[in-house]
Amino acid sequence: MFIQLVINGINYKVDIDPNMRLIDLLRDKLGLVGTKEGCGEGECGACTVIMDGESVNSCMVMAFQADGSNITTIEGLEENGELHPIQKAYMEEGSVQCGFCIPGMIMSTKALLDKHPNPNREEIREGISGNLCRCTGYNKAINAAERAIEILKEGAKNEA
Amino acid sequence: MTLDQVFKGNSISEVLELLNQYKEDAKIIAGGTDIIIGLRNGKITPKVLIDISKIDELRQIQVEENKIIIGSATTYTQIVENELFDTNLYGFKKACRLVGSPQIRNKGTIGGNIANASPAADSIPPLIALGAELNISSLRGNRKLLLEDYFNEKEDNRLRADELLMSIEFEIPKKNQVLGFSKLGLRKALAISRVTLSSLIGIDDDVNIENIRVASGSIGKYPMREREVEEALIGKRFNSEILKIAASSLQSSMDKRLVGRSTYPYKRRAVVTLFEEVYKDNLSYFNEVTL
Ligand SMILES: Cc1cc2nc3c(=O)[nH]c(=O)nc-3n(C[C@H](O)[C@H](O)[C@H](O)COP(=O)(O)OP(=O)(O)OC[C@H]3O[C@@H](n4cnc5c(N)ncnc54)[C@H](O)[C@@H]3O)c2cc1C
Ligand code: FES
Ligand code: FES
Repeated sequence: MFIQLVINGINYKVDIDPNMRLIDLLRDKLGLVGTKEGCGEGECGACTVIMDGESVNSCMVMAFQADGSNITTIEGLEENGELHPIQKAYMEEGSVQCGFCIPGMIMSTKALLDKHPNPNREEIREGISGNLCRCTGYNKAINAAERAIEILKEGAKNEA
Repeated sequence: MTLDQVFKGNSISEVLELLNQYKEDAKIIAGGTDIIIGLRNGKITPKVLIDISKIDELRQIQVEENKIIIGSATTYTQIVENELFDTNLYGFKKACRLVGSPQIRNKGTIGGNIANASPAADSIPPLIALGAELNISSLRGNRKLLLEDYFNEKEDNRLRADELLMSIEFEIPKKNQVLGFSKLGLRKALAISRVTLSSLIGIDDDVNIENIRVASGSIGKYPMREREVEEALIGKRFNSEILKIAASSLQSSMDKRLVGRSTYPYKRRAVVTLFEEVYKDNLSYFNEVTL
């Protein structure tokens, strides 16, 4: 069956198998392998993408359910060859070790900041509570989110 | 997975037609956070999946006269973000806020929580305490059912293959009533130890308990009313004295229900802690509001 959807600003019309999940569509069919599969059970958040403005586990969505929706994956954050402020902040703060959890962490952070541009540490912790990290730990991820908020504010000031 | 055909439901009537056509071969999918796990591990093997997550009528929270009606495909995030649940219904919001993670709350629905009927479904005890009713439809007609009767030993009230859970409704509590909620054991990995308690308590002008409904989750085979503690507390003055009475009657219920099970000692202790937290929530509401 064919579905139509927008991923990272690009219109796709793709032929899918009814048994496919969104993560299978992204990785196996479209080659968007930045989105990771960890547990496949909604526990780890490595597969997090933003669907119609909200963070979801792409292992917990059937591909056909994404028909007509607007999806952002980690590949869609870069703009004109420049990393997104959240990506820059993760590098500046040294918040990445093996990196497996990071695309999901960053998408959850983005979903949070899109809704609440000014969260406190507790709210950030809650915002990434659906993302497990086995190496770096959560304090550095929270530091990165705080740094990202600063960069985003500086950017907004410079634009004004 | 064993799916041949999948449908994106555009309207309620279309979904009812499809359910009627495919019956046992079909399953509804809303948020997918329970069913996709079942599809993947082969516990369920439907040929047809019908998505209801984009049907607006099923995703609404409506107020009609003195009632709140929640569409079955309403997500936890929608509940948490709705100010209807900020004051004396806070216990319901708290239950929804403590579900899983942001990603799970963005997709998971109240209807899916009920239809899946896990003993550990967190939204159910507060809804039972509220006296909520289910509206269920099929091409054969509509039926209304008290949520607390949905769960019983015989399981004869459960949804049939051709039925769609449409909505959940309950009377808005009065100003002198408040819903409390408490949960122990947060992560899904520890779902076995996850126990919940919720109570709707109303007090009269003399601060005596005028009406009370208490419901538990994961303490028995299914979410249920805790009538023994209700009977022990009705008419009592609402102050910390009730904690002792509640503890002993809840524990007496545990003694009857759980003796011999491995979780008995833990749950016998847990109910006391849970009731204390629910009491504190209720108290802080009564302290803030002038009746
Ligand atoms: C990581 C993780 C953490 C979780 N944490 C919690 C938690 O803390 N507390 C908790 O209670 N649950 C938890 N859950 C379980 C799950 O998220 C909830 O039960 C959720 O409410 C299910 O809703 P859904 O819309 O995703 O259901 P789905 O998976 O879409 O459906 C579940 C079942 O209900 C049926 N169904 C759904 N809607 C209808 C309808 N309207 N009419 C008829 N049948 C219907 C489906 O056919 C299916 O059998 C967790 C799950 C995961 C994966
Ligand atoms: S892979 Fe989806 S949550 Fe772990
Ligand atoms: S950096 Fe390795 S899991 Fe998070």
